[in-house]
Amino acid sequence: MKVIRQTMVMLFLTAAAARSFSAAPPGDPAAERIARGWEARLNTEGLDVTSMFTIVQKKQGETDRVLRVQTFRRDSSDMYTIVFQYPDSEKGKGYLRRGDDLYFYLPSTREFVYKNRKDNIGSTDARTDLFGRQKVLEQYTASSAGTAQVSKWECSVVRLDAKVPDVSYPVQKWYVRKSDGLPVKVENFSVSETLLATYYFIEYKSLGNGKSLFTKLLAVNNLETGQQTFLTNENIATSQIPDYTFTKAYLEEKSR
Amino acid sequence: MWFYFSIALKNVFRQKRRSFTLGINYAVVTFILVLLFSFSQGAIRNITTNLVRSTAGHITISGSYTAAGRVYLGVRRYPEITAAVRQVFGSTVKTIPRYVVRSALYYKGISKRLDFTGVDTTLDTGLKGQLQFVKGGWDEFTSASNGVILPKDVAEYFSLNLDDEIVVAARTRFGAFNTGTLKVKAIYESVNFFAQGLVLCQFPFTQNLDLGEKDTASTLYLYFPDTRDLNLKRSQLSAELVRRGFEVNKPADASAAIDAVSSASPTYKVDTSGADSNRLTLSTIDEAVGIVKIISSAVNAVGAVVALIMLFIIAVSIFINLRMTINERLREIGTMRTIGVGSGGITSLFMIENVLLALLFSLVGVAAALVVAVILVTLVPLPATGAIALFLDKGHVVLIPRLQDVAGVVLLIAAFSALFSFFPARRGGKIRPVDALTRVF
Repeated sequence: MKVIRQTMVMLFLTAAAARSFSAAPPGDPAAERIARGWEARLNTEGLDVTSMFTIVQKKQGETDRVLRVQTFRRDSSDMYTIVFQYPDSEKGKGYLRRGDDLYFYLPSTREFVYKNRKDNIGSTDARTDLFGRQKVLEQYTASSAGTAQVSKWECSVVRLDAKVPDVSYPVQKWYVRKSDGLPVKVENFSVSETLLATYYFIEYKSLGNGKSLFTKLLAVNNLETGQQTFLTNENIATSQIPDYTFTKAYLEEKSR
Repeated sequence: MWFYFSIALKNVFRQKRRSFTLGINYAVVTFILVLLFSFSQGAIRNITTNLVRSTAGHITISGSYTAAGRVYLGVRRYPEITAAVRQVFGSTVKTIPRYVVRSALYYKGISKRLDFTGVDTTLDTGLKGQLQFVKGGWDEFTSASNGVILPKDVAEYFSLNLDDEIVVAARTRFGAFNTGTLKVKAIYESVNFFAQGLVLCQFPFTQNLDLGEKDTASTLYLYFPDTRDLNLKRSQLSAELVRRGFEVNKPADASAAIDAVSSASPTYKVDTSGADSNRLTLSTIDEAVGIVKIISSAVNAVGAVVALIMLFIIAVSIFINLRMTINERLREIGTMRTIGVGSGGITSLFMIENVLLALLFSLVGVAAALVVAVILVTLVPLPATGAIALFLDKGHVVLIPRLQDVAGVVLLIAAFSALFSFFPARRGGKIRPVDALTRVF
């Protein structure tokens, strides 16, 4: 009996996994509207954005790990370049994203490693997805999951189910402020819907034209107790970035 | 010749101290070389056996496949490969699939990245014999679809006990994270180096965790009742697999064979060919341990260099000893020449004396090496942890002295002794009888 029950559980999990990609629930117009709303605000089409991120990773029983990366972002072409500035051991490393393709540059071997848009910056909880254009409705089906109070904000909750299997988190729940349509919290789940990570968008900076950029974000690892990563986005500029910055040659040059 | 041989035999120990000093050198060189070759041979045999019992087949099939522009590591359509094996070799050849996923294990706030090996518990029963269960057992594991067998050190690291539940989170072959819950059903130790770190789950669990298709495995192990002619067997199987639409190759070198055998956690790259395909690499166990053979050859070479240095010292000793001996035995040489012994006879006499000494003491060296080997193999237990476990079988070092190695070493030393005693002996043989009886060299 026990074996049958366990087999049933296994079959259910398999079926659930298969269902999450092949037959994601149909889109909910209201939820899609909310998703389009935050995409419109967070995606910075029409602007080139340069900024400096400081990433602090905290792990229980370990000293804090600090990384500093310079980012160059052009959402209109779905590109960004990230260059590691600190510490010296990471200096010269970098990412180049062009559309769906992400390359990680290793100066020690002068090699570009293909990453396909999923990676954790410097093995922290900060995912590379956070640094570029949001494409949730291309990759996920949105559905409403009610409302919730997050801190002092009344939020709409939007559940995203992946349409494709090559996203990091196949299920996400976005908590979006009703007041301005900006997300304040994102829960990221695995295929079998275990909560893996939670992002808290703590502070935004307005870039004008209804565009915003998060300036403080906390990424909490829900599997590893006490592990969290704090991102601070500073020195934000919107002046035009030379095209050359979004090339592999640029990363190679910066590593010298 | 027998005449010279009988005289030489009597003369071998005429200068006892000198003969023993030189002889001990011969014995030491032989001792080192015999033990070294025994160790190399034992290491190759031991590693091969332990690999086959745990993480390789007589032929291991690994590969990659392309689907929709992505290249995935792993073997697709493995039931068809199993059918091909059965068609070519019959049902006596056992085909075992494994599915390995690299994943993080989480338990009470601690995490660790591990390889989770999915085994088909109905087929993969040989592995059971390599595990000494500290808690739980194989039957408990097979009866739970989400059961896991952990190495003792992993269980201790997490303070895990039987029936504790652990969470595993893996990035699937497509990139999405997946998680699962496993229940500890057994904790084991192993004296087999290659089985020591295996975290064992049920095959369907790791396949589901990785979102692998039902006909996908990481590797297939083929076990033959007769392991001769593995290259021929591979060729026969390759032909059948090609006929069935697979692209088949063999590893380019020993390093590629190791990579093929140890292929794990499927990940993907971009495909530029634009066509879907199934590529297989068929590696024989000899190729997989090829790197071990290269390393053991290197170790042997280092040993041979040490032996050469010692032999050089011996060569100098032979030269000096023989010159001293000839000086001491001038009257004897003169007498023998006077009664009609030729120059060649004298040369032969001294050479035979030296070769006999070399043979005698190298045999002593062989005997000493064999005694030490037997003691090490049977009486000296070593801890089967760390890298040293690679060379151990059930806690004892494996030494396999082969007749051809022993004979080769003895003959080499005899030939060496003959060569380096020839020149001073010939010089002794060339001394005229009148000079030998009246002069001192």
